Amino acid sequence: MATTTGTASKPVSLPKSYRKSVWLLLGEALLWILLIGIAIIEIAPISWMVSTSLRDPKNSFDLPPDFWPTALHWQNYVAVINSPDIEFMLFFWNSLKIALIVTGAQLLTCSMAGYAFGRLRFFGRDILFGLFLASLMVPATVTLIPSFIIIRSLDLMNTHWALILPSVTSAFGVFLLRQHFKSLPEELLDAAKIDGAGYFRIYWQILLPLTGPALSALGIFTFLASWNNFVGPLLFLRDWDKFTFPIAIATIRGYMGSGNQSEVLAGIMISIFPLLVFFLLAQRWIVQGAAITGMKG
Amino acid sequence: MTSTALSEDRVDRQATPQRSKALARREALAGYLFATPALLGLLVFTALPIVASLILIFLHYDLLTPPKWAGAENVTRLATDSRMFKIYWNTLRLTVGVTLFNNVLGLLLAVGLNRAMPWGLRYVLRTSIFFPVMTTTASLAVVWRFLLTQDRGVVNFLIGQIGLDPVPWLSSSAWALVSAMIYDVWKSCGYLMVIYLAGLQGIPAVYYEAARIDGAGFWQQFRNVTLPLISPTAFFAIVISLIGAFQIFDNVWVLTEGGPGDASRVIAMYIYEKAFRGFEMGYASAVSFTLFIILIALTLLQFLGARRWVHYE
Repeated sequence: MATTTGTASKPVSLPKSYRKSVWLLLGEALLWILLIGIAIIEIAPISWMVSTSLRDPKNSFDLPPDFWPTALHWQNYVAVINSPDIEFMLFFWNSLKIALIVTGAQLLTCSMAGYAFGRLRFFGRDILFGLFLASLMVPATVTLIPSFIIIRSLDLMNTHWALILPSVTSAFGVFLLRQHFKSLPEELLDAAKIDGAGYFRIYWQILLPLTGPALSALGIFTFLASWNNFVGPLLFLRDWDKFTFPIAIATIRGYMGSGNQSEVLAGIMISIFPLLVFFLLAQRWIVQGAAITGMKG
Repeated sequence: MTSTALSEDRVDRQATPQRSKALARREALAGYLFATPALLGLLVFTALPIVASLILIFLHYDLLTPPKWAGAENVTRLATDSRMFKIYWNTLRLTVGVTLFNNVLGLLLAVGLNRAMPWGLRYVLRTSIFFPVMTTTASLAVVWRFLLTQDRGVVNFLIGQIGLDPVPWLSSSAWALVSAMIYDVWKSCGYLMVIYLAGLQGIPAVYYEAARIDGAGFWQQFRNVTLPLISPTAFFAIVISLIGAFQIFDNVWVLTEGGPGDASRVIAMYIYEKAFRGFEMGYASAVSFTLFIILIALTLLQFLGARRWVHYE
């Protein structure tokens, strides 16, 4: 602390209780045990999944369980990918395609509306923004049934549009970006206007580059929410060739889970592998983003 | 864009009334254009559904035959739906359980992780605890289904090693809801940890220094510095935990399928099943509105109650 360094030259005699008491040590020890214990509990199911997905299928139910791979039976992964009944890599493509489109669309629509509500003056602005805020209170469970009827009457059942269109924008994203745009200094925009920048150039070349962290946080969590979405595909998709990972895995478990645990786990590993890589690469941003936005995948 | 007109106007603030009016019109036009895509999405997929579900409450509609007027039948039926009350009771127990454990654990983990430690250790701990948050709820529920199997499940094997009897995690009505709770805490406590960690890092270190000089120990610092200053974060975290927990669906749908019987069925599942298995759109909408009212009431209550325990600097 800059303010304390100046005055800290005089040695301060600390009261006795500041010295590490038994209670302090005990508290600290408990905290460490909790931290390490929970970390082990959090990671154990995942390391069990990795190890078991690499076991020979005929040993896949054997006990004791492995938490570290003892076999490297990659054939399970090959079997899942080359399965004759189901095109597993098609799920990957479906999930990726939908998540990318939804993320791109949301970043665009939310940032545009965020600019309008945060930086432009027009009649009815506050009422319209109030609508967005109010809709934050509406739980997804409530809009599920009418959304189904709307999608059905638009004749979009069993298409990927049924998953994309309802997620094209989000009230939360509009709110988040509006707050960020609003917090930028007015002088910056004035300067741009003096230089002759129009509304679109101000939005595209000044505001967007300055809100990188908020945009990337929104992008990351929109992508995750789409990748992990379960209710949408459960409701709207019927055919295997349209399925995304979560619904495909829940369905595969139904008819082959009891027979071959290792192959089902290999399938799950393939479906979360992109998340794992992404997380290890971008952990800092993801963790910060979770704190900024209060969203989760 | 007539940029020269725009820039002149900006330089010379004393613009003529006509010119500034034209400018205001242009700005308004830009405002509407920029807001339109999001507004359309909001209208079609949030506003319209809310109005539609309000209307649906007063209809009998099975998707196949045209809707019929039902009057208040769907609403009065709510009062006599004893199955719904049982399912709400499950939902409430699950919600209270996961909110409590996620927040207490999240805060303690954040306090632990916020202490001085080697960079690598912090990285490993944070990665391990946060990673489950990123994974797919439905898919990891499949993994936990394998883990919690009664006969050859890993969890029962491990508790057998310390001499305990196998627990029917998923097949007994006493344990099914507990299993859903365990799974949710496993999946989400890392998320709460991250939120609390951000809150803790916002507390200026001078407060702790002052407390230490006054002789405050670990517990006193936690009680008198951390807790009051983390209360706005805790308020936010508890509100979003409660709203999320009341709507838990994927977790139970895959893990226990609501069973055995209705022992672990939750309200979001009940709404889904009434609508898309029983094709009672009207009644399902009525049930979903009870959930809406409960969530709104809960949020308002918390905002009112927050005055008593949330301290803003």
